[in-house]
Amino acid sequence: MSGPLPRPLPHDALTLDAIRTCLEGVIPGTIATADAEGTPNVSQLSQVHYVDPGHIALSYQFFNKTRANILANPDAQLEVIDPATGAQYRLRLAYLRTETDGPLFESMKAKLSGIASHVGMAEVFRLRGADLFRVVAIEAVPGGCPLPAPVRPRSLLSAVRRACEGLRGAADLSDLLDRAIAALRDLFGVEHALILLPDTASGRLFTVAALGYEASGRGSGIGWEVAPGDGVIGMAARERVPIRITHMTTDVAYSMAMREGTAAAVAREIPFPGLDRPHSQLAVPILAHNLTHPGACGELAGVLFVESAQEMRFTYDDEDALATLAAQLGALMRGLPPAHGAEVEEVPTPAVTPPAIGDPIIVRHYASDDSVFLDHDYLIKGVAGAILWKLVRDHTALGRTDFTNRELRLAPDIPLPDFAENLEARLILLQRRLADRCGCLSIEKTGRGRFRLVVEKPLRLEEMS
Amino acid sequence: MRRERGLDETVRRFLDRSLSVNAATSDQDGRPLVARAVAARVSPDGGRLTVLIDGRANAALVAAVAGTGRLAVVFTEPSTHRSIQIKDDNASVAAPTVEESALPGPYIDGFIAELAGMGFTEAFVRAVMEFEPADLVALHLAPADVFDQTPGPKAGERIPA
Repeated sequence: MSGPLPRPLPHDALTLDAIRTCLEGVIPGTIATADAEGTPNVSQLSQVHYVDPGHIALSYQFFNKTRANILANPDAQLEVIDPATGAQYRLRLAYLRTETDGPLFESMKAKLSGIASHVGMAEVFRLRGADLFRVVAIEAVPGGCPLPAPVRPRSLLSAVRRACEGLRGAADLSDLLDRAIAALRDLFGVEHALILLPDTASGRLFTVAALGYEASGRGSGIGWEVAPGDGVIGMAARERVPIRITHMTTDVAYSMAMREGTAAAVAREIPFPGLDRPHSQLAVPILAHNLTHPGACGELAGVLFVESAQEMRFTYDDEDALATLAAQLGALMRGLPPAHGAEVEEVPTPAVTPPAIGDPIIVRHYASDDSVFLDHDYLIKGVAGAILWKLVRDHTALGRTDFTNRELRLAPDIPLPDFAENLEARLILLQRRLADRCGCLSIEKTGRGRFRLVVEKPLRLEEMS
Repeated sequence: MRRERGLDETVRRFLDRSLSVNAATSDQDGRPLVARAVAARVSPDGGRLTVLIDGRANAALVAAVAGTGRLAVVFTEPSTHRSIQIKDDNASVAAPTVEESALPGPYIDGFIAELAGMGFTEAFVRAVMEFEPADLVALHLAPADVFDQTPGPKAGERIPA
């Protein structure tokens, strides 16, 4: 949220952050407005969107009486209920403006599509705008008899602290990503997670770390791709804003329709990320801030994505926790030592790999998109495909097994974008795709900026034009 | 704009069950106020509605209704989202009669039954609806204006008399 911060409240005043559970869409809120003559109107709301500690937004789908009233008289009062305890709160609101694009609009649209489908109203859903309100005051309604708050299975604040501590000291990008995935699993109890990195040339995102997709029937998750703007991951990347859906059913057009379009149009072999039937999803952008331009919006360094078959699995607090973890990841990714720093003078250790035996693996390369197939099965494409093709050619023609990052960056036949991180990300992707796929062809790291191609079967190369 | 005759049969039938009932008014300065009601009843001829409310929890709204006479009440069936809004600019506040004081008990029981199918427990619904009987206040209104408030493109359309 841009604009001035809300005026400081007394230290014991109830804050919007403390009652965000009421804004999860479980129980409709109720809003009172009045026209210029003072005639009141009361209406239920399926979605009240938390924007920041001083603002909420309401979805503008139809031009109804509530909307006519706030345009005439910006004063409104909203009543919400905590879905866990039944505690009720009233918020005094002041209407500010309506946004029709940008991060707030997109994150509401994503969320509303889930809610609309949840309540069987998907066909009437169309978000025209996000009506933004300042929260002027919050009061706890002195009625009802709230239940005690349920004990949560874990402390998110503690999980964030320990996760951030666990990321420190990572040797390289691959190690850092593995530590992040382990933290999601062990500290946050996440069952399905992906970390995607952007291809700076195409803008597409590709998965380099995954958790919990082995049973998906579509591979481990490594190598899955998404275009900016597609689904919750693509939207989080494009808008640089967390996107969270708490109720999601299979008829939600949001991810599914996008999924079909993406997969069919771009590359049939590359699955769209995620579970087939998710009920909760949260995608958080990983931003790397440039220290020389501290005020500038961060550059997209990746997307952290978690999902669950359970409804309401990820709350506002989960979103904050993972956004904090993503911020730490972004800072650490930027601060990693360059992978090619120490490699130049080192002499590669001679290979000790036993000679390749058995039936040959057919390695087929299509020059049009640098896609590589192993025994007719798609493996990888793009820069990572070009890297693999160079490695197997050098291996078969020259008997080489040891390579350096530096020579790949200088190789004329690898169309690498400018950034060093891009090469390392591609090598991680290639290494993990190979590990997923066969086992008779793999990449082992042998030192900083150095690696070995391990070939356990003879290779037969086929270049297709 | 005031009606001479009461609510039509369809609306009366809709209101003759336990619904989510929410009320709004505006004070002398035009500031809107909102409150949750615990029960409601339509008179047999459909010409008068009574809405029962926790007057302590909603003191500002009760005072504003008494002062301005403005009242809007929305009745919503949670399982279907079907909603009707009824407005009057000549509403009044009164202490509930003995008969009116007895309305919330069965009304809340019916509401619990309606919400049970949506995954809400009885304990939760009672936690929201709980009130001290001595705090109960009756708001009376005539159905001067009736609107279909079911979410969708037709929300807000006046229901003809």
